[in-house]
Amino acid sequence: MPTDIIMPQLGESIAEGTVVKWLIPAGGRVEKDQSLLEVETDKVALEIPSPAAGYLTEVFVQEGETVPVGTLIARLEEVKPDGVVNKVAGVILRHMEPPEGGRDYYSPAVRQLAKEKGVDLAQVTSTGAGGRVTRKDVLDYLAKRETAQPQATPTHPSGAAIAPQEEILPLTPMRKTIAERMVKSRQTSAHVVTFFEADFSAIARFREDKTLTYLPFVINAVTRAIKDVPILNSSWGETGIVIKKDVHMGVAVALEDGLLVPVVRHADRKGLTQLAKEVTDLAERARTKKLNPEEVQGGTFTITNHGGFGSLFSTPIIHQPQIAIMGVGAVQKRPIVINDAIAIRPMCYLSLSFDHRVIDGATADRFMSKVKAYLEQSPWEKHL
Amino acid sequence: MTTATAGREVTYLEAISQALDEEMARDERVFLMGEDIGPYGGAFRITEGFQQKYGEWRVLDTPLSESGFVGAAIGAAMMGMRPVVEMQFADFISCAFDQITEVAAKNHYRWGASVPLVIRAPFGGGVHGGPFHSECPEGWFFHSPGLKLVAPSTPYDAKGLLKAAIRDPNPVIYFEHKFLYRRIKAVLPAEDFIVPIGKADVKRAGSDVSVITYGAMVHLALEAAELLARDGIELEVVDLRTLIPLDKEAIYQSVRKTGKAITLHEDNKTGGIGAEVTALLAEECFDSLDGPIMRIAAPDTPVPFSTPLEEFFLPKVSDIVAAAKKLAAY
Amino acid sequence: MDVLEMWKTVKRADLLQMYYYLRLTRTLEDRITALYRQGQIVGGVYTGNGMEAISVGYASALERDDIIAPFHRDMGAFLVRGITPGEVVAQYLGKRTGPTKGKDGNVHMGDLKRGVIGFVSHLADNLPVATGIALAFRLRGESRVVVTNTGDGGTSRGDFHEAMNFAAVRKLPVVFFCNNNQYAYSTPLGLQMAVKDVVDRAKAYGMPGEIVDGNDLAAVYLAARRAIQKARADEGPTFIECKTMRMHGHSEHDSAKYVPRELLEEWKKKDPILKAEQMLKQLGCADENTFREVGERVTKEVEAGVEFAEKSPLPEGPETLNGVFATDEEIKP
Repeated sequence: MPTDIIMPQLGESIAEGTVVKWLIPAGGRVEKDQSLLEVETDKVALEIPSPAAGYLTEVFVQEGETVPVGTLIARLEEVKPDGVVNKVAGVILRHMEPPEGGRDYYSPAVRQLAKEKGVDLAQVTSTGAGGRVTRKDVLDYLAKRETAQPQATPTHPSGAAIAPQEEILPLTPMRKTIAERMVKSRQTSAHVVTFFEADFSAIARFREDKTLTYLPFVINAVTRAIKDVPILNSSWGETGIVIKKDVHMGVAVALEDGLLVPVVRHADRKGLTQLAKEVTDLAERARTKKLNPEEVQGGTFTITNHGGFGSLFSTPIIHQPQIAIMGVGAVQKRPIVINDAIAIRPMCYLSLSFDHRVIDGATADRFMSKVKAYLEQSPWEKHL
Repeated sequence: MTTATAGREVTYLEAISQALDEEMARDERVFLMGEDIGPYGGAFRITEGFQQKYGEWRVLDTPLSESGFVGAAIGAAMMGMRPVVEMQFADFISCAFDQITEVAAKNHYRWGASVPLVIRAPFGGGVHGGPFHSECPEGWFFHSPGLKLVAPSTPYDAKGLLKAAIRDPNPVIYFEHKFLYRRIKAVLPAEDFIVPIGKADVKRAGSDVSVITYGAMVHLALEAAELLARDGIELEVVDLRTLIPLDKEAIYQSVRKTGKAITLHEDNKTGGIGAEVTALLAEECFDSLDGPIMRIAAPDTPVPFSTPLEEFFLPKVSDIVAAAKKLAAY
Repeated sequence: MDVLEMWKTVKRADLLQMYYYLRLTRTLEDRITALYRQGQIVGGVYTGNGMEAISVGYASALERDDIIAPFHRDMGAFLVRGITPGEVVAQYLGKRTGPTKGKDGNVHMGDLKRGVIGFVSHLADNLPVATGIALAFRLRGESRVVVTNTGDGGTSRGDFHEAMNFAAVRKLPVVFFCNNNQYAYSTPLGLQMAVKDVVDRAKAYGMPGEIVDGNDLAAVYLAARRAIQKARADEGPTFIECKTMRMHGHSEHDSAKYVPRELLEEWKKKDPILKAEQMLKQLGCADENTFREVGERVTKEVEAGVEFAEKSPLPEGPETLNGVFATDEEIKP
């Protein structure tokens, strides 16, 4: 979101101002409230603080120019401009835009290669900027084609026709990353899943008059169980299993077209209220793409709340380099047996995927029993 | 590239000196003209000791008159001598612009008289020289049919190209980069060798992005290549070595392989040699392009003096890295 | 006395030869002017009308191996060095048989074999080149000399000064002529320089200088001969200012209305061909018959040359691309 810098009104009767000096160089970084430029009117000369942090990417008014109050004089961008700096034309900096049309844009090299080799470009997986098909993509496709059974490859004269029964969804960078990571994780860890069931009635009672979701309770129970079975909070190392002392809880957040796992740092030190606040904030910012890179890194254990749409069990994929991930299913009222009588209770299935390289079933189950016990029997007032 | 033989390393500057010495010993028609090249040995000491060895008339201290003594060199060359004129700084070549472009360049075309002249021009910045001691004037002459222009980046190329220039029957402007004089060294073969005019050299092979460049910028490109390799981007660095005639085939071959090109030079951007290479690629290699062609060059200003200004002015390794990354991801 | 000197030191045959060249130059240039007015010549035509004694005079004082670096009013020198009328007209007509094969026009002819350096339009550019030629002679210990020429306007350019200076500093075997015809295009002498005589510049650079009557063949020839001999004897350069008048416009398209008629009338009386005829008659070398015979001879030659040129082919478009660079094979090792 760019920030507009406008010529401020430096006094009641002031109608215009002169830019005296830009204090930040073109493309330079400015912090919020840091002096951005010097402005002068006939009454006063002032340094103008920047309304936001960012990079000065566009300057519309040069030093010495006078403009009316309210004129747009510059723009800040949040993201550092990394396009080639156009030093020739003053201070306008330009990103190199990926082509319009993403998937539908074919560069000369791609068209030529497709023509020469009879490739239907619609069939080629695209990995280029903005979803475009790169020359390498075509070469990769050709390599695969070589090894596949010999088939007549449909050649479309335009090179861009799409079969009527199919729809192509371009691969976003996120989708590609998820795909890569999921497959890699499965190839790395020896996934085993163990399922437990927990009675949430105590939690339900406790939170009746509070605006807390189930998630902070689960996080709380898990962090305490980790203290009991620390090996659940570790990662596989060549020289040995690295047991982490700090507990940074990754919480999976579903997005429109993917998922992100922001991390609540030192989750074991935080009460329910704070956990709730942070999770809400992280989730919100994840959905609006406002997370910082650090906020999705460094997790030591992950919880995935897959019960949102009614899912009961799950076999989640471990978030490398962690060794376990716990799925929380839907909390549903079910008939259960208590003291040989049938009772209706809000129950929840918990699914723990664990890396069998690191721990065995017994350890996993020991951990899960602790989680269950904490969920069912904690004096929750003490954990607010 | 060079076949290293046992021997001491020589600097880029010494390589130039060696070429002059060897050619003067080899061919009595070769003689030197320039300001302060005699007892003083030249502003950069390239001809130190030469006058003692070859005498006052073969190492001629000229008056301060670039047009006059370049014109004289042209006349002597027409008579079959092989003069090598030293411009004290490439910036002063503008005084002789008329003689070079109107007389030397056009002579053979008009009436068949060859002008085997070499003008050595120490060019380039990074030495706090300011606007009149840091110029890259090759662009002015790039556009003057009849001249050959060369710009070596290594001691091997410096020695080989100077010899080739002296032996060429045409007027050659030899752009030696003053920043490189004492900063780069190499062991050179003992035997006589030339680097042919009109042949580029791939200083580093790579598969992802081609950088087409010359002069001191070659070394920046190589530095950038090291950094980029860590991120899995392999730069191919094509050192033009000769500006006219351009080794078009080498340029095309590289870009056909990588599909992505960056032109890089220290000269100003507009109308620089990078612009010509870009146009050639668009004309001849359109179907090989998998991304837009990028140009990295100095902005369109004279070379400023103050250090932060000159640093802003000169292309940097980070510029190359940023551009290559962007292009590789396209 | 010049005339006496001529009679004592120059063979009759050579005197007649010089006269022949004066006539050839005049007739050829008149013919070219006529062709131009008939629309047969494209581009500019610049003649040395009324100034023929200068070019014929200095060129005649040179040896076979010497070199000239002339300017655009030196047609006589080209002819003395052996460029034929046919080649000259072919050059003007842009034909392939001219010395530049159509690559350049009018007086920009050059041929190393005949010792003529191709002129460049930028006046005085030829002067540093001439000093370089002299430098080559000096470096190789050859007793050859180079003569170069430019106009009054040419002496305003930096190259004139740089060449004079360098030649004097190094005592090079070059003779600098100056064709002072009092007008550089429309610029009269008074607006071209603050000195009265161009020869004052010779002193400034430390070389001897003299003024001669540019319309007097004998004066020019003898002064040239003296200077050339001096140069050949390693005594350095000389500057010779030839006072004359430009009888036509700067080029044939220029009516030169800015030149006062009286000046032209005055100089018409001093026509170099007339003066040469007077001298020859005085020396008893020739008479009206000779003059008429020479006249017929040169007319025939010029006509033959025009015919040759007209019949010669024009170069073809693609020949534009030839000859930008010299090849190793062309150059003797």
